[in-house]
Amino acid sequence: MAVNAFSDEWARQFKDEVNKSSAYKAAAKGWKWTVGLVIEAEPDKNVPETIGIVMDLFDGEARDIHVGSAADAQSCNFVITAPYSRWKEVATKQLDATKGMLQGRLKLKGDLPTIVRYTKASQELTEATTRVPVQWPDER
Amino acid sequence: MNIVTNADDEPSAIASLFGGLIQANVESKPEKKRDFDGLKARVGIWVTDIDEGLTLDFQRGSLTVHNGLQPKRDITIRAEADTVMSLSNLKIGLFGMPVYHDQVGRGVALKLVQGRLRIEGLLGNLATLNTVTRIFSVR
Repeated sequence: MAVNAFSDEWARQFKDEVNKSSAYKAAAKGWKWTVGLVIEAEPDKNVPETIGIVMDLFDGEARDIHVGSAADAQSCNFVITAPYSRWKEVATKQLDATKGMLQGRLKLKGDLPTIVRYTKASQELTEATTRVPVQWPDER
Repeated sequence: MNIVTNADDEPSAIASLFGGLIQANVESKPEKKRDFDGLKARVGIWVTDIDEGLTLDFQRGSLTVHNGLQPKRDITIRAEADTVMSLSNLKIGLFGMPVYHDQVGRGVALKLVQGRLRIEGLLGNLATLNTVTRIFSVR
């Protein structure tokens, strides 16, 4: 059953999908930093406030993924920021995250060599997102 | 002192990303700093699936990053985004040579054979390409 995008239930299912992925486990071996996703508000798309997703990822495992404030997400070691509709494009495979970062459509903050070293892991995270059935706020 | 500067008032995302990546690599690893200090070359990178690119103008110890492809390049690399990122993930082996026999290296070599990674100006610039690869690589 579809869950509301970027809700607590979505975060729980996303974490489960990440932890089910052997590809992610292999690609993220050695990763030990937190990642924050900032989903910028788009009131006309039924997203009235900016949302933060905080991911505690460690050595191929998602220890915790939860919804928080934008400030919570921005305090993570790595922060990726984009408007809601762009995140929707990523989660529905209309936008490749790597291309999005190279084009500046997803804004990245954090140590670049580290994120480049774990490109494959970030792709697997995106894959895990696409496996969570989602009800999008602009389609409600 | 900033060893990397942008030629454009508004650097593109890809120019900022590669400039930042090289700066971080050079500042964190003495062997990359040595390569950087000795390299004089103009290297273009064109990412074919986003139709964007940049030119890296290495001047022995400093780098100017330009948006887009600029003239008088010694080497131009044309590949899809994934392949460009793989180039940054090549391991460096014996004698400072990029490793092409592990998973990432085989993937890059296959793209080269398939024509999905094109390197213009390779003839006569192989040593330059290896040096650039070492500076690029996060490994």
